[in-house]
Amino acid sequence: MPGLHVTTEQRYSTLLQQVIFAPNLNAREEFLAEAFELGRGALSQDAIPPDELVAIHHNAILCFSQKNPDMKLCDVVDLLTLPLIEMSMAYGMSFREQLEKQYRALLDKRLQESHRLEAVGTLAAGIAHEFNNLLCSIIGFSELAFEGLSDEEPAKESIQQVLVASLRARDLVSTMLQLARKNSGLPSEEIDLISEINSVIKLVDVREKKLEINFSSGVPNAFITAKPGQIQQIILNLCINAADAMEHCGTIDINIESTTSDECLTGVGESAICITISDQGTGIPPEVQEQIFNPFFTTKEPGKGTGLGLSVVHRMVEDLGGRILVESRTTGGNNGTDFRIILPFVDKDKRGTSCQKKCSLYKAHNHGG
Amino acid sequence: MAHILVVDDDVLIRVMVTKMLENDGHRVTTALDGAEGLRLFREDPPDLVLADIIMPTLEGLQLIKTMKQIRDDIPIVAVSGGSRHISMVDNLNLAEIAGAEATLPKPFTKKELNAALIRAVS
Repeated sequence: MPGLHVTTEQRYSTLLQQVIFAPNLNAREEFLAEAFELGRGALSQDAIPPDELVAIHHNAILCFSQKNPDMKLCDVVDLLTLPLIEMSMAYGMSFREQLEKQYRALLDKRLQESHRLEAVGTLAAGIAHEFNNLLCSIIGFSELAFEGLSDEEPAKESIQQVLVASLRARDLVSTMLQLARKNSGLPSEEIDLISEINSVIKLVDVREKKLEINFSSGVPNAFITAKPGQIQQIILNLCINAADAMEHCGTIDINIESTTSDECLTGVGESAICITISDQGTGIPPEVQEQIFNPFFTTKEPGKGTGLGLSVVHRMVEDLGGRILVESRTTGGNNGTDFRIILPFVDKDKRGTSCQKKCSLYKAHNHGG
Repeated sequence: MAHILVVDDDVLIRVMVTKMLENDGHRVTTALDGAEGLRLFREDPPDLVLADIIMPTLEGLQLIKTMKQIRDDIPIVAVSGGSRHISMVDNLNLAEIAGAEATLPKPFTKKELNAALIRAVS
């Protein structure tokens, strides 16, 4: 706006004259500061481009020199330009310091989060030792009792259930330890997703009597590279959350598809597999969605959730070179949450159907707020 | 059948392993820590030792090393459930370096226990 430029130029020019004819040093500094703020304000509001401000400054000095021919131009520059440049540099430095401070705070926050996870890992390792000893006795004595009973004894079947559950607990402790010690434990291998998910479904079925799980796969040979137990842990955590969200009554849909969509493949690789776990629960409000992967964040009642499930899932998916996407609906009668886990595909030649359409939908939802 | 020395600081595991091994006809002696284990090892020499690795007084790895120094042909099965400072896998690897013929991660089943005993003597 030309009108604004003229006004700013006039005010700027007046301020420069006031600087030169200031009655004392304090007044001069005040006028300089005002001129600096005017210039900086005009720049930050994009009211004047930087080149134009320089031209205004230049014109103001020339105009002033013409009106006061007895003053040397170099004295005028000494009085005006140099202090303004110094102020500008000081401002730049403080702005930089402010940015650095914010950046350090952000790093500290991330470091704190990783320390918290590390603390959980140490805690898990300590408890696991005790737990392994207890499980050893439970498994051993159950086996002894099992062997001591004849086949007709009704208790024999119950003891077998204790054994099955104890062996599952053993696997869970082992997975938890692998999680705590990222670099040790079992090596990665090709894992059959379908068989891993089926074993989790069996586990959830025992726990959740009023829950139905529909599992379908559009990929006949769904193989990925992971450590044994990792996929089960991811799926189990998401199923437990889904069951809690539906108050342990309803349907969980699990679906495997291959994907070639750019949205899904970002950072994952050329071809990926997409596991979707959907519930019809209450949904996750948008303001909560940003926090769900933070360690210790939970919406469950005290004592009912540690706030670690999803952060563990997030970390494991990242370790596998994958991504996790979430889409949730809290209104509109179609409430529920979809967790989509994108993992690098082992065999490119065995692709099934695509989840391109759904991932595009996710993108649209996200951009819509 | 063999004479087996079981060294473990957990009483439940000592009782359980004793029952499992006695059911198979073995004679079992138990010790609750490394120091007692070493004493019994000298007083009543076993055919095979089943030793936990994390124990008070004399630590399991040191126990295995000392027993091997006394009798280098003694078959030893090292047992571990991991600890706060070192993982189960690392513990058992160290036990093999110390001289154990076989390792057995806790918790174990009877079948896994038997398999470890066979590995140790073969």
